[in-house]
Amino acid sequence: MAHDWQPDFEQLVDENQSMVFSLALRMTGDRGLAEEIAQDVFLELDRHLGKIESAAHACFWLRRVAMNRSADALRRRRVRGLHLCVEMEEHHGLSEEARTSPLSARLEQLLATLPEAQRTALVLRYQEELTPEEIAATLNAPVATVKSNLQRGLKLLRAKAANNLQEYVRQKEYARGV
Amino acid sequence: MDEFEQELRQAFARHPAPPGLKRRIMQRRRALELRAHAFPWQRIAAVILLSVVFSGAAAWHKRDEQRKGEAARQQVMTALRITNHALNQMNSQLAAHGHAQK
Repeated sequence: MAHDWQPDFEQLVDENQSMVFSLALRMTGDRGLAEEIAQDVFLELDRHLGKIESAAHACFWLRRVAMNRSADALRRRRVRGLHLCVEMEEHHGLSEEARTSPLSARLEQLLATLPEAQRTALVLRYQEELTPEEIAATLNAPVATVKSNLQRGLKLLRAKAANNLQEYVRQKEYARGV
Repeated sequence: MDEFEQELRQAFARHPAPPGLKRRIMQRRRALELRAHAFPWQRIAAVILLSVVFSGAAAWHKRDEQRKGEAARQQVMTALRITNHALNQMNSQLAAHGHAQK
C-alpha cells in the first residue's frame, strides 16, 4: 500500500528518545545499560526505516524493540548472576534514599522488585498509558495474560507500597481524614 | 483509575533522555554508514579474488582431465597395436600352415 509519510531519522530520535530510554531504564534499572539499549534500538530502527509506514508505526516499533532488547539484557545479566533489585539498591541507594526521596522515586524503586512480566505490563500501562489490548499487541502476547500481569503487578506493588512506604500510607490516611 | 494508579502514572512519567544521547546515536549511525560505504570495495575485491581462484582451479582441473584422457587414449592405441600385431602374426601362421597342407 502506498503511503506519503517520509521517515526522518533525526526527528524520530528527537521525538522518541525519552520514551525508549525510559522504557529501558525502568526495565533494567541501569542508566548506562539503558542508554546502550536506546542507542542500539535507534540504530536498528535506522536499518528498518524502509518498513516503517508512519510516525505511530515507528513509535509502536520502538516500544516493542526497546522492551525486547531490555528483556534480552536482563536475561544476559541473569546468566551473569546479577539481580535487578540488588543493582537498583546499589545504584540508587534504596535503603537510605527511600526514606528521604519523593514518593514517585520510591514507587519506581519498588517497581524494580516486581517480576519481569508484571513490571513490563505496568511500565507500558502507566508510563506509556497503553490499554491492555495495545500492550498485548506490543508484546505479541494474549490480552488475558497482559490483564493478569497488570492485576497481579498492581496488587503486588500496592502491597509493597503499603508495607514499605509508611509515609505513603500516612498521607493516604491523612487525606481520608483518619 | 483509582488514586494509587494516578500516583503510578505520575511516578512513571518518562525520564528525560541523557544529554548527548541523540548526538551519540547520530555518530554511531555515521560510523556505520562509512563502514557500509567502504564495504562494497572490499566485497568487489573479494569477488575478484574468488573468481581468479575458482577459474584457476577450473582451468587446472580441465587440463588435468585432458591429460588423463590423452594418457587413456594412448593406452588404448597401444593395446590396439598389440592386438593388431598378434592377429597379423596368427594370420601369417594360418596362411603358412594352409600352404604346407596343400
